[in-house]
Amino acid sequence: MNSLKGQIVAIDSNNHMSLVDVAVGQDVFTATLLETPATADYLQVGSEVTLLFKETEIALAKNLSGMISLRNRIPVVVKNVVRGDILSAVTLDYAGKRLVSVITSRAIDRLEIKPGDPLEALIKANEIALMAGHDDL
Amino acid sequence: MIKAQINKRLIGANGSFELDVELQIAKGEFVALYGPSGVGKTTLLRCLAGLEQADQANIKFNGNTWVDTRLRINLEPQLRRVGYMFQDYALFPNMTVRGNVEFALRKGSSTHRINELIELMNLGELQHQKPETLSGGQKQRVALARALASEPSLLLLDEPFSALDTEMRSRLHNEVLRLQRSLGITTIIVSHDVSEVYKLAKRVFVMEAGRIAQHGTPADVFSAGQTSGKFRFTGEILALEPMDVLYSLTVLVGNQIVRVVAMPEEALKLSVGDAVMLVSKAFNPMILKLE
Amino acid sequence: MMTYDIQPLILTFKLATVTTAILLIIAIPFAWWLANTKIRFKPVVESLVSMPLVLPPSVLGFYLLLAFSPEHWFGSWLDKELGIRLAFSFAGLVIASVIFSFPFIVHPVQAAFQNLPKSLTDAAKVLGKSNVQIFFRVLLPNIKPALISGTVLAFAHTVGEFGVVMMIGGNLPNSTRVASIAIYDEVESLHYDVANFYAGVLVLSSFAILMVVYMVNRKARK
Repeated sequence: MNSLKGQIVAIDSNNHMSLVDVAVGQDVFTATLLETPATADYLQVGSEVTLLFKETEIALAKNLSGMISLRNRIPVVVKNVVRGDILSAVTLDYAGKRLVSVITSRAIDRLEIKPGDPLEALIKANEIALMAGHDDL
Repeated sequence: MIKAQINKRLIGANGSFELDVELQIAKGEFVALYGPSGVGKTTLLRCLAGLEQADQANIKFNGNTWVDTRLRINLEPQLRRVGYMFQDYALFPNMTVRGNVEFALRKGSSTHRINELIELMNLGELQHQKPETLSGGQKQRVALARALASEPSLLLLDEPFSALDTEMRSRLHNEVLRLQRSLGITTIIVSHDVSEVYKLAKRVFVMEAGRIAQHGTPADVFSAGQTSGKFRFTGEILALEPMDVLYSLTVLVGNQIVRVVAMPEEALKLSVGDAVMLVSKAFNPMILKLE
Repeated sequence: MMTYDIQPLILTFKLATVTTAILLIIAIPFAWWLANTKIRFKPVVESLVSMPLVLPPSVLGFYLLLAFSPEHWFGSWLDKELGIRLAFSFAGLVIASVIFSFPFIVHPVQAAFQNLPKSLTDAAKVLGKSNVQIFFRVLLPNIKPALISGTVLAFAHTVGEFGVVMMIGGNLPNSTRVASIAIYDEVESLHYDVANFYAGVLVLSSFAILMVVYMVNRKARK
């Protein structure tokens, strides 16, 4: 599981759901949650939280242009690729932090992903879970 | 309202420990005592019922002092008007189903109540049978009817549904819930089943080694950590196998076997038999209606 | 032509009936107490109760005879203060038989009380029942088989008792000459047919009693 430590900078919520903006370094991640500040104590601007998302939920892009609905786009650099038959694990460096993306080996070939490549990592807002605090998992 | 503070030295499987509990329960509230066996849950119930004496205790019920060890007050169990459902049901073998329920009648109550309870608990056909001829579920219904027949002001249920199959359990859960609400009886249930606690109790006291380690609504207490995932199940790992660059985990959740994928570094920290929690965002699961 | 005196038989069953009735009144509460007590000298009490099981009846009879005799302080006190003579009297036989048959009723009843789940008593308590109500309505009815077999064992044992009776009762017609003594006496006098008559009646009646008990018990268990 990928985890990033951050701090809540904004919360936009209705009765049932919230859109939570979390600053991680220079970037702001957005997560959609079925929680509101009324149901979850930790949903407060300024709270320290950990972003959690599964490796299979990170998409990778090279020279992406045009418009895209995805909110979470971060610059990363490929450190390592472990190839499998169907899936491959790509280890990424994101501002000194380690992330792993699992994508199809076909995509590795098509994008010609190799160590040293600068890429853009994309994560859908509803795939990010928040955990209160900065505990290491 | 119950206000209880109970202290008693207990001998457990791993040596002696101290039951040291303080709790307050509002009138008409349905609460659960949750925890593994041997932490003092049953002893706590028995102290409340007066079947066991604490070393040091103060128990007040609706303003009346039941127990005050300092003043040497200890109200007999006969005078506490408690309905108690025992783990072994404790039905009187010499009496019929009806006889058992009738025996519980207080002086001056009408036998009308007996008929009502027998009907309510669906015991009409069994009323002239002796307890030994009944199945586990039937015995539990009789035990519950008997506990209610005494018109208790406090109902204590000691793992009442542990020996039942899922369907029977769920039916009795609904029954208890309905009765408890309509009669407004303050109720304490001892259980080590999370789903039971969720379903029945408004509040849960988690007991560990004689102490209340945690208390709150079942949702608060059982949400380990505070992850915003909505979809969580606890399960047991049955198998771990490498699969391409990932690992496949086979997990037993309830009585269903599910497969999930994990990264190698996650999988290597786990082994077969480990308990795990599977968490998913509420957005992920797709829903198919079952006919 | 022999005369068959049925007085010894009547006396035997009278003794057994009175003894059993007294035992029911004192032995059952005693068994309940023994089943529940936590006193430290419980093994002492249990040993005392069981003594008649292992002692030769003549030993018990001997000591009772000594105690009952007007020369002994107890016997003389009884004689002087209450005008009761227990040695060689029916009352003395009853007391001796009660002591002697005590374990036969206490043992099964105590075991039965101990085997009843504690939760039955607890359940009755929270339902507001007094100890007396619990005893008669919950505990006793649920140990019926043990009660019946204990009662019958005590009865049968009294009928068959010889040694104790011999020691403290002697052989007084209508007062202490019970059937077992009469048989012995008749055999000594070579009246085998009279002895045979008493013995035969004892055999048949004992068998009949036991049969009835086992049949009742079988029904009760169902």
